[in-house]
Amino acid sequence: MKKLVALMLAATMTIATFVGCGASNKEEKHASTGSKVFVFGDTTFNAENEEATIDPHDTYCGWPAVRYGVGETLFKFNDSMELEPWLAESYENVDDLTWKVTLKDGVTFSNGNVVDAEAVKACIEDLVAVHERAAGDLAIDSIEADGLTLTIKTTTPKPTLINYLCDPYGAIIDVTAGNEGGIVVGTGPFVATDLVTGDHINLVKNDNYWDGDVKLDEVKVITISDGDTLAMALQNGDIDAAYGMAYASYPIFENDDYTFTSTSTSRVFYLQMNYNSDIIADDAVRAAIAMGIDKESFVDTLLNGYGYVGAGAYPDSFPFGKGVNVQTYDPEGAKKVLEDAGWKDSDGDGIREKDGKKLSINWVSYPSRQELPLLAESAQASLNDIGIDVQLNITPDHGTIVSEKDGWDVYGAAFVTCGIGDPMYFFSTHCLADSTKNRGSYSSTDLDALAAEMNETFDTDARSDIAIKMQQQILDDNAFVFCSFLKMSMISKANVTGLVAHPCDYYEITADLDIE
Amino acid sequence: MKKKKLIVFAFLALLIVLVAIFAKWLCPYDPYEQDLSASYQAPSFIHVMGTDAYGRDMFSRVIIGGQVSILATLLLVGIISISGTCIGIISGFFGGTVDMIVMRISDLCLAFPGLVFALAVAAILGGGVWNAVVALALISWPKYSRVARGLTLSIKDSTYVAAARLAGDNSFQLIGRHILPNIIGPILVTAMLDIGTMMMELAGLSFLGLGAQPPVAEWGSMMSNGRSMLQTYPWVVLSPGIAIFISVVIFNLFGDTVRDAIDPKSNRTK
Repeated sequence: MKKLVALMLAATMTIATFVGCGASNKEEKHASTGSKVFVFGDTTFNAENEEATIDPHDTYCGWPAVRYGVGETLFKFNDSMELEPWLAESYENVDDLTWKVTLKDGVTFSNGNVVDAEAVKACIEDLVAVHERAAGDLAIDSIEADGLTLTIKTTTPKPTLINYLCDPYGAIIDVTAGNEGGIVVGTGPFVATDLVTGDHINLVKNDNYWDGDVKLDEVKVITISDGDTLAMALQNGDIDAAYGMAYASYPIFENDDYTFTSTSTSRVFYLQMNYNSDIIADDAVRAAIAMGIDKESFVDTLLNGYGYVGAGAYPDSFPFGKGVNVQTYDPEGAKKVLEDAGWKDSDGDGIREKDGKKLSINWVSYPSRQELPLLAESAQASLNDIGIDVQLNITPDHGTIVSEKDGWDVYGAAFVTCGIGDPMYFFSTHCLADSTKNRGSYSSTDLDALAAEMNETFDTDARSDIAIKMQQQILDDNAFVFCSFLKMSMISKANVTGLVAHPCDYYEITADLDIE
Repeated sequence: MKKKKLIVFAFLALLIVLVAIFAKWLCPYDPYEQDLSASYQAPSFIHVMGTDAYGRDMFSRVIIGGQVSILATLLLVGIISISGTCIGIISGFFGGTVDMIVMRISDLCLAFPGLVFALAVAAILGGGVWNAVVALALISWPKYSRVARGLTLSIKDSTYVAAARLAGDNSFQLIGRHILPNIIGPILVTAMLDIGTMMMELAGLSFLGLGAQPPVAEWGSMMSNGRSMLQTYPWVVLSPGIAIFISVVIFNLFGDTVRDAIDPKSNRTK
C-alpha cells in the first residue's frame, strides 16, 4: 500500500514539474505597458570577449556600443565594406599627413549636447590617450576644431585613417558626460540606462535622435553565453532574437516562425603558432599542422555549411582575398614532412618523437565562439592520424594563458580580419613586432619590409597587391593557419523586422528595428 | 527469494564490470575514429546508437566510456572506503587528540556540499579523470571514517576485546583480529550503496568540464558535448544518459540486496 502511495506521489510530482514548465504566458510580458520592447540574446557581451561595458575607449567595448545602437562613428561601412557618411558628411585627404573631416549639421548626443568639431576632437583625444590600440592605429599628431570642420594631422602617413575611425572604438561619445559604470552618452538611436557586465544591458529610445524616428521603445540585451540556453530562450519567447546560436540548434528554427538573417563576414577562425615553443619553432611541425587540418569537412559538417573555407587572412569576396597559395589538406604529405625532419614514431604508440621528445602540442582555445571547440576536437583527431598528439585546453581564461610566452603551442581563435575594410588591419594587430596580438612572437624581415611599404602606399589597388604578398609570406612561414570564415547569422522571431546581418558584424540594433 | 535477487543483481553488476574491462574488444568501431561524412546518423543497424557530430559511433563510445566511468568509480569507492575506514578505526580506537583532530577535519568536509568542494579541488588540479577521482576522494572519505569510528567505539569496550587485551594482544592485533572483522559488513554495505552516487558525481564533474577531457569518452562529458543536440539529435545525449541511468540503478539495487543479505536487522523494518 505504502509503495502504491509513494508511486502515485512521484508520478504527480513529475507531472506537476512539466505542467509548471509549460504554463508561462508568452504574450503577457509587454501587454501591461503597451510599449514596444525588444529582447536580444547575445553570447559575447561579457568580459571574456573584452566587451565588459559599452565605453568605446575601453578594450573592445566599442563593439557593443555600436552593435546595440548607442554609439555611431564618423563614417560607416556599406555591405561591400566601402565607406559611407554617418556622423560626418565628407572627408578630404589634404596631404600625406593631413585629413579634413566635415561633420553633418544638426547631430546631437542623446543628452541634447551638439556634436560639433570641438566635441569630436575631445572624444578622439580622450580615445588616443587611454586606448593603446587606437593610439597606434591612428598615430594622431594634432587635431584642430573649427565649427563643423575637423583637421587631423598624423605623425606618419596613415592611408587608412578614415577606415580606422570607423572601428567601433571610433564611436563618438560625449566625454563631458562621463562613463559611470561603463555607460556612456552617444549619438545613437538608443540610450543605455542600466548595465551589468556579463548579464544584461537595458536601453531606451533616444528621443533626441538626430536621424529620424526610432521604432522601438525599449531594448534589453541579455548575455546568454550558453548555446542551449540561448536556443531555449528563443523557443520559449524569452528573447525575440539571438546572436551566436549553436549550429546544432539551427534545424529547430528553420521554419516559418523564425527568420534568419545571414551574411558572409571576415571573421576568421585561425590558428596562431607560438614560436617561443621549441616544437612549434620547427618549420616541419608548423607545415604538418597546416597540412593536417581538414578545413572542408570542418565547414561542411561541423558548421552545417554556415561558413567558408579559409585560405588567406581575408575572404575571397575582397580583392586582396584572392590569389594566395595555401597548403591543402594532405595527411600523407604531412607525414612525409615530419618523417624527413626526423620526427619518427619509434616506440609504436602512434605519436612521433625526435631526440627523445614527444610530438605533443598544447592547443589553447575558448568556448564562447562555438566553432573553436569543434575545430579543436576535429583537428585533434586529424593531427593524431599523422602522429601529432594534441592536448586541448579550452577555457574562458585563454587570454591569461596566451599572454605568457610558454605553456602553449597553438592558439585557436576568432578575429574579424577586415573590420575596417582595409587589409593592413590583420597584420598590424597580429604579425608585426609591436602588434598587440602577436602572441607567438612571430617575426619576419620580409613581412616588416612589406608592411613599411604598405604604410606609405595610398593607392587601393597597390595596397591590395602588397596585402596578397604579405599573406603569402605568413602562409609560407606557416605562422598562421586560416581555417574558415564565419557566415554570421542572427535568428529572430518572424514578427521582428529590420534586423539585418552586416558583413563587418558591427551594426545590429538600429532605428529601423521593429517588432510587430 | 532474497538469495535469487542477490544472484540476479550480482550477475548484472558483474556483467557491467566485465563489459567495462573488456570494452576494447567489444566495440564494433574505433570510438575515437572521426568520420565527418557520417556525422549525426540516427540509430540504425549499422550504428545502433547513431553517431555524434564527428561521425563517431555512439555505441562504441558508450562502451569505452563505461570503462572510464565504471572503473574510475570502483577505484574511487575502493580508495575512500579503505582510507576512510582506516582513519575511522585509528581515530575511534586511540581516541584523544588524534580523534579530535581527525573528526573536526571530517566535520569540515561534511559541512561542504560535496560536489562544490570537488569542483574547487578539480579546478585547482586541472581537468582529467584521475584528478576528478582525487578531488572526489578528498571530500568523500569522512562518510566511512564516521561509520568505522562509531562501530569501533562500541566494540572497543566490549568484554571480548578486553579479554583479548588481557591475553596480551597489542593494539594492531586487536584491530586486525577483533575490530575489523566486526565492522567490515556495514562498511561493505555503505561502499556498495555509494557506487551509484559516486558514479553520478564523477559524471557530474565531467559534465561540467572538470573531469574527462576531449577526446576521452566518458559518459558525463559525452552528455555535456551532446547537450546542444537534445532537440535535434537526441541520441547523442540520450545514449550515455541511459548508460548512466542503467548502471546506477543496477549498482544501487545490488547494494540494497547486499545490505539485506549481510545486515539481519534490515529484515525487521520490512
